Amino acid sequence: MAADRFDMPVVYDSMGDIVIRMRGITRTFHSAAGEATVLKGIDVDVHRGEFISVVGRSGSGKSTLVNMLTRIDRPTSGTVRVGDVLIHELPEGRMALWRGRHMGVVFQFFQLLPMLSLVENVMLPMDFCNIYSPASREARALELLKRVGLEGLAHKLPGAVAGGQQQSAAVARALANDPPILVADEPTGNLDSRTAEQVMGIFAELVEQGKTIVMVTHDQVLARRTSRTLLISDGELVNEAVAAAFPGQSHSALLRLSKLASPVHLLPGVDLPDTQSPAAAPLYLLMGGELLHPDHRPGYPLGPGAIVDPLAGLQVDLFAGPAGADLLSLPRAEVLPLLSPAGDSLPPLSSLPESGQAQDGLHPPGSDL
Amino acid sequence: MIPPRWKKVLADLFSHKIRSLLVIASIAVGLFAVGMTTTTYVILAADIRAGYLAVRAANIQVISSLFDDDFVERIRRVPGVAEAVGAYNARLRVHVSEGKWKPINIRALYIDEMNEQSINKVELLQGTWPPADRQVVIDVNKVVETGAGLGDELEIKLPSGTVRRMQVVGIVRDQTIGSTSGEGGFFLAPIQGYVTAATLPWLEQPEGFNTLYATLSHDREDRHALSLVADAILEEFEHNGHTTSSSVVRRSTDHPNLPYVDAMVAVIYSLGLLVVFLSGFLITNTLSALLNQQIEQIGVMKTVGASRWQIASIYMLLILVFSLIALAVAIPTSQQAALVLLEYLAVKINFTLRGLRPVPFSTFVMALIALFVPQVAGLYPILQGTRVSVREALSGTASLQKDGDSLVYRLFARLRGFSRPLLISLRNTFRQRLRLALTLLTLSLGGAIFIASFNVRFSLENYVDRLGRYFVADVNLTFAQPYRIERVTHDLQQVPGVGRVEGWGGALAQIVEADGNPGESVQVLGPPAASSLIEPILLAGRWIQPGDENAVVLSELFRIEYPDLRVGDTIRLKIGPKESDWIVVGFFQFAGKSAGLFVYTNYDYLSRETGLPGRAGFYRAVAADQNLSQQDREWLGRQIEAHMTRRGYQINEVTAGSAVKEDTSKGLNILTTFLMVMSLLMALVGSIGLTGTMSLNVMERTREIGVMRAIGGSDRAIMKIVLVEGCLIGLISWLLASLAALPISKMLADLIFQIIFDNDAMLAFDYRANLVWLGIVLLLSTLASVIPAYNASKLTIREVLAYE
Repeated sequence: MAADRFDMPVVYDSMGDIVIRMRGITRTFHSAAGEATVLKGIDVDVHRGEFISVVGRSGSGKSTLVNMLTRIDRPTSGTVRVGDVLIHELPEGRMALWRGRHMGVVFQFFQLLPMLSLVENVMLPMDFCNIYSPASREARALELLKRVGLEGLAHKLPGAVAGGQQQSAAVARALANDPPILVADEPTGNLDSRTAEQVMGIFAELVEQGKTIVMVTHDQVLARRTSRTLLISDGELVNEAVAAAFPGQSHSALLRLSKLASPVHLLPGVDLPDTQSPAAAPLYLLMGGELLHPDHRPGYPLGPGAIVDPLAGLQVDLFAGPAGADLLSLPRAEVLPLLSPAGDSLPPLSSLPESGQAQDGLHPPGSDL
Repeated sequence: MIPPRWKKVLADLFSHKIRSLLVIASIAVGLFAVGMTTTTYVILAADIRAGYLAVRAANIQVISSLFDDDFVERIRRVPGVAEAVGAYNARLRVHVSEGKWKPINIRALYIDEMNEQSINKVELLQGTWPPADRQVVIDVNKVVETGAGLGDELEIKLPSGTVRRMQVVGIVRDQTIGSTSGEGGFFLAPIQGYVTAATLPWLEQPEGFNTLYATLSHDREDRHALSLVADAILEEFEHNGHTTSSSVVRRSTDHPNLPYVDAMVAVIYSLGLLVVFLSGFLITNTLSALLNQQIEQIGVMKTVGASRWQIASIYMLLILVFSLIALAVAIPTSQQAALVLLEYLAVKINFTLRGLRPVPFSTFVMALIALFVPQVAGLYPILQGTRVSVREALSGTASLQKDGDSLVYRLFARLRGFSRPLLISLRNTFRQRLRLALTLLTLSLGGAIFIASFNVRFSLENYVDRLGRYFVADVNLTFAQPYRIERVTHDLQQVPGVGRVEGWGGALAQIVEADGNPGESVQVLGPPAASSLIEPILLAGRWIQPGDENAVVLSELFRIEYPDLRVGDTIRLKIGPKESDWIVVGFFQFAGKSAGLFVYTNYDYLSRETGLPGRAGFYRAVAADQNLSQQDREWLGRQIEAHMTRRGYQINEVTAGSAVKEDTSKGLNILTTFLMVMSLLMALVGSIGLTGTMSLNVMERTREIGVMRAIGGSDRAIMKIVLVEGCLIGLISWLLASLAALPISKMLADLIFQIIFDNDAMLAFDYRANLVWLGIVLLLSTLASVIPAYNASKLTIREVLAYE
């Protein structure tokens, strides 16, 4: 029977809520110039349906991280689990087939095969992975090209179409086997802004349809359009909350803060920890849950992203809400310079906004959010 | 719609036409060589055998005193004899050009036998057969020497000096020429003419037969059976009072020029296989470059789900397509080349070509090689290419060969005084080391074979020149009968220009076998013991010395025919009716197996044995002037002939010394021509390899070339960089080829000399060959580099930097 000779696309549900889990990922390159550790113990969880951007300076390791994810490269140590498969353990041959079925990859330089037409490029993954019946592959490929606005150029060679159109075709190819996960490495890096916008629009649609997308980009503007941003600096991940709380700061400063931060969990109703010495008193970054004021003051409770100074007036009496509170304890001396130009003190409490905008007052100068 | 992965195969075929052509050429050249050599061998072996069988060549030939038809009938009744025919062979002279006469062997047969042609059948090529009385038919092989064609008249000089005019009414091919030992082989045989027996009296020849030809009814390939029947025939001769002077036994398939065929076949197969071997490296090199160019695409395919073996299958199919195209090109071209070669050989070696026809075995071998050799050759590049990790493939850092921080690079870094562009050329040359190694291997081996072919040719030419030392005299004179040496010497020295004269004894003898029966015929020559007109190439023992009595020095064929014969042994020879023992004192190397059995002995003893003391039929005259040209010798020969004829001598033959050498060397010339053809094939393989490498090197560096142009590199500077790289590769290959040519020359020469002379080569090196190859390889390097470099230099920088 024809149905017995080809496979159908992977079912998303079988992958669970956390579709990608990376633990302790390190990658060291050996060359004539010596050793270079590009990734230094990275832990990441990616949930189903997320649209994640991976940002960082050039050479920070973002493309290497994504290569771990797609198994284009193998970690020196650590584990990469996609669904229930430890993909870092798969041999090259099996990985190729697994990748073809579970992931769609979009490259910065499109990487279409130059001697195949756009529709043939889109059909290629189906051909290799034997997905969909041979008779239906061309129709599906044409449908995908239509989806990305290229139905009129289906039989053109890549060299005969513009860069943006090639990238759109590459996106269509990535969707050929209807994979649950899309990974894009600088997909708009070679595109003009209008075309980049088109590609981002396609990604947004795909996310709405339930795809999980991980995108490497150096463009902060594009990064803000994603649901979550992973900031890599010098091979290490900056704490997401820290990165969100202190935008505009240098990546090295953020990374330093991330390393100095320590998690604190408050059970429901528990006060902020007492401090012995005012000079040593940490600042807290609220990551999850809420902090309530006993007098139910306006502007409270405080939600995730708020920076709390336990020494500052009203914030002395804050306590965790019914769901508890997850905080990051930050060293005062490191944080203060980031919050005021003089770097020696917090703004006076009276300047704190009355209602629900405590966050704004505590953001460092220059913040554009 | 064709699945995309297979569509890629077709697209790859047509997307880079030059690259595809190079791969196809790499495969086709090997197939061509195999096809040409196999077809040539199969048809040659079949046709020479079938053709010779068809002529019903005599198994037994006996030369004797006159006998008649009744005696021939008696021979027919000898057990084992299928057919017997009598003929009369006379050595006369034919006028070939102004004042020049050459020997012609006239064979007379009864008209019935001429019509029936039961033995030694000739193939009519032009005109009519048989001739009428007083007409002549000429064998095609030497007809050119007569200067006459169909319908022309030949002037035949009789022993009395009378000249008869005979019209040439037919031209035939007689494949049996050279089949008798006494003739000295095909190349030394005289012009052959055929007349009716009734013409003999008109040519002042006696009526009757002096030669018997007989065939066996069975066991015609069995030498023992042939000998038994020959013995029985010779007994009949003896019992009937006929004196035999020569007898030859041959198998029905023993074409006279088989030794040359064997040598050619050895060359064909050795070099043909070598071309296939080189072609394999060529294919590997070209496929490596192809895979190298597609590394990134391989990475992409792996990213979208292709397994290693799926990718490998794409390239294996591509190779198969290349192979099939190459096969389609090679089959007809190799057949045509085989036809040209066979037509050449048919004329030179005297056999009848039954026409070019499909040789299924050749096609099968070509197909087998086409299916397997490219796949095997491509295995390594495919395995390497598909093994590259996706990261390396996509990052552009992958290459089938790594540019390394190698010793070569560090060496070049220390060079001072070289411009940067020149250093680029030097480093680029060693950048792709595997490709360089394969290119050098192909080019060097091809060049080594080319040089070796020249060396072998030079060795054979030197040997031919060396053979001239057997014919040191300026003029060789053969009389119809022996004359007193004193008288002849006196008369010859009256001719202006003649210096020293030597009279040589000569006889046609037969070896007496162990059972007492006469065996093979032997030409016996008896120079004066201290003669300086012969400088033999001794293989063992010594030459004849003054005072030697029954001492003989034997030609190389004796060592093959009688492998147990050693220096110091005794052989029994029958000269005329008399048998006598002779002591073997040495062996000498002459002109190969087909030249026949030759023996040298002391004149004094020979003349006594033949009953002709003080007399000789063969004379050698040395000119007073040591520096005569060939033309001068021929002129002197004509003067001698005219003078001696006026004095009443009956002359059979007058030849200039080098003419005899030239006749002897004709067979060897065929081999040298053959070697040249094969060496050109080698050069072709090497040139394809170099062209491929340079084209691909430049193609891969198109982006670099663009960058160089963007930072100030002119078109000329770019071309110079590429040309220097190409010439450097050529130069390195030339050095390696020159070194490799030394042992290869020895091996090739030994192979040929063993087959022809049953001895190792007298190797001589022709250093001009090295210079010729240097010129060729530099020219090829330049041509191979300049075109791709020019094309690259004409792209715009924008195009080049966007090049993938």
